[in-house]
Amino acid sequence: MPWPLQGAKKVQEAVNEPQRTTIYLLHDVIKDRVSKGVGFRLRVPSLRINQGEQIALIGESGSGKSTLLDMLAFVLQPSSAGAFRFRTGEDGNPVDVVDCWLHARQNRLGDLRKRHIGYVMQTGGLLPFLSVRDNIGLSRNVLGMKRDGTVEHLAEMMGIAGHLKKLPADLSTGERQRVAIGRALAHRPAIVIADEPTASLDPFAAEKVMSLFLSVAQEFNSTVILASHAWRNVKELGLRRLFHRTTRSKDSKLTETVISG
Amino acid sequence: MIAYKFKILRLATRDYLHEWPMSVCFVLGLAAVLGPMLVLFGLKFGIVGAMTDRLIEDPANREIRPVGSGRFEQEWLDSVRRKPDVVFLVPRTRSIAATIDLISAKVSRIVPVELIASGQGDPLLEAGAPLPEGFDHVVLSRSSANKLAVSAGDVLDGSLARRFQGELERVHLPLTVVAIAPEGAFGRDGAFVSVRLLEALEDFRDGRAVPELDWSGQPADGRRSYPGFRLYARSIHDVAGLRNAFAAIGVEVHTRAAQIETVQRMDRNLTAIYWAIAAIGLVGFSLSLGASLWANVERKRKQLSILRLVGFRTRDIIWFPMVQSLFTAMLGWALAVGIYYATALVINSMMSDQLEAGQQVCRLLQIHYMIALGLTCSAAVIAAGLAGTRSARIEPSEGLREI
Repeated sequence: MPWPLQGAKKVQEAVNEPQRTTIYLLHDVIKDRVSKGVGFRLRVPSLRINQGEQIALIGESGSGKSTLLDMLAFVLQPSSAGAFRFRTGEDGNPVDVVDCWLHARQNRLGDLRKRHIGYVMQTGGLLPFLSVRDNIGLSRNVLGMKRDGTVEHLAEMMGIAGHLKKLPADLSTGERQRVAIGRALAHRPAIVIADEPTASLDPFAAEKVMSLFLSVAQEFNSTVILASHAWRNVKELGLRRLFHRTTRSKDSKLTETVISG
Repeated sequence: MIAYKFKILRLATRDYLHEWPMSVCFVLGLAAVLGPMLVLFGLKFGIVGAMTDRLIEDPANREIRPVGSGRFEQEWLDSVRRKPDVVFLVPRTRSIAATIDLISAKVSRIVPVELIASGQGDPLLEAGAPLPEGFDHVVLSRSSANKLAVSAGDVLDGSLARRFQGELERVHLPLTVVAIAPEGAFGRDGAFVSVRLLEALEDFRDGRAVPELDWSGQPADGRRSYPGFRLYARSIHDVAGLRNAFAAIGVEVHTRAAQIETVQRMDRNLTAIYWAIAAIGLVGFSLSLGASLWANVERKRKQLSILRLVGFRTRDIIWFPMVQSLFTAMLGWALAVGIYYATALVINSMMSDQLEAGQQVCRLLQIHYMIALGLTCSAAVIAAGLAGTRSARIEPSEGLREI
């Protein structure tokens, strides 16, 4: 398998390269959740993500990975934040995400997400009534982008070129995940956020899909933020790992996870 | 922006078609409630409509005549005729004097007939048919026309007798049949004639002279008064009012006000019952439609979240369930109208032998279909709008994590 090794090498170079634009800048971002009398708190004292980075967030399920990803994708409002800025491109001014949430400017966040972010969900999240081609092309379609063969190119790279006319129901789970990855990348977003994209796959397929994902993201120059509970699979891919620590209060009423990097 | 909205509509349509078994269920569910409601309303409208039509159409229901005989002067009758709720009024002469013996050339027998005062706008006669005018025109009732074997255009010989100055005297006058009255206008042997002819016949029998017909006798004495009149109210709703007005000035009249009131009360009660049923049906219909559409939006929450994730605006996402609800509303309505048509056809053909031509027991007007469509679409839009707004309000991440 030449792909993942090649990809890993490139990633290593990218991380070492200086003077990268900072895309995300977070300070003291907190999200509180209460469920069945037990409180969960996710705290991010400090997090900086630069353009082109490939970042892995490793941890057991329930450790708050999805919560952080959802906040980074602007689909979850932080409970409080010292700073939460988002910037794309070198000339763009940073957007104050907290401000947008506080002033109910969700359409602004929606526009940012639409243009700059691709999201891969744990299980597909494909629209059952659209063909594979239309599912991949959905984000391009929303943005009104022209058909330039990107969808077909992606399908080719993801090994699903033969399924373009099929509906998601006719695909295997692994194939559906590839379609989902294709959709997240089709509009060439600056950032791709993937929440356990291979969790529903068997280990062999998972490895293959993960390496495909990272190498295609690499080719599309997308920053990757990836959550996974299996470090073993991503260790050799050379991603930057975020640190996290989970503590539980003595009465078990509060679980706090601190993520930084 | 329009292209963008159009994308949502297209996606909603594709989803609706893709999920056709589900869509069919929603449409059937809607039609199952709306169809019977249309039939129910059609029956109410048809039956009550036919009943009211019959009431209004039968002029006998609008007739008012004085009980016994009185003394009514021409001026007073004229003032009554001018009332807005009176459409027809002619004076009557004494009924004992209002007969004549008729002989036709075709039948060798004398047919005595009652004479009925008539004139312009007589509700018992066909509108537009020739009227009995002057001293030589008659409109025969069906039964007298049959007995005399005559039709319009034939000429009859009318004769009457009096005992004057001790001698029996009989006069003859030619009468042209200008028309035959409709069935039911007058049940016995009778003839509609002008008031002037009736006055002449009464004068002759009273021994007075009728110069117009060269009948000799004593000269007329003073003002004429009439023992009665034929009056028709403008509508059945005016009958009771006129009766009360006559009673107030001491004129007792015979009307069908009691029967009219019975039918009107029945109409009101029936209408109330129908509306009660319709209201319950409408509430049930709105709830069932709302519930199924709401359930549909709940079911679609994950898809709606995905659409938001790929960048559709929250506000526009509501169009997705809205369009689908409108599809359901319109298809369900169309199916319900189909159900109604089939049912109405069966009901009407079952009852056809008891109905007059063109009459229908189950009947709806165009506007009723439109009202049904409007109500259905409004209910659909409201239900989908509320449910859609609710699902748009939850954070997209919540919808995404649902399995």
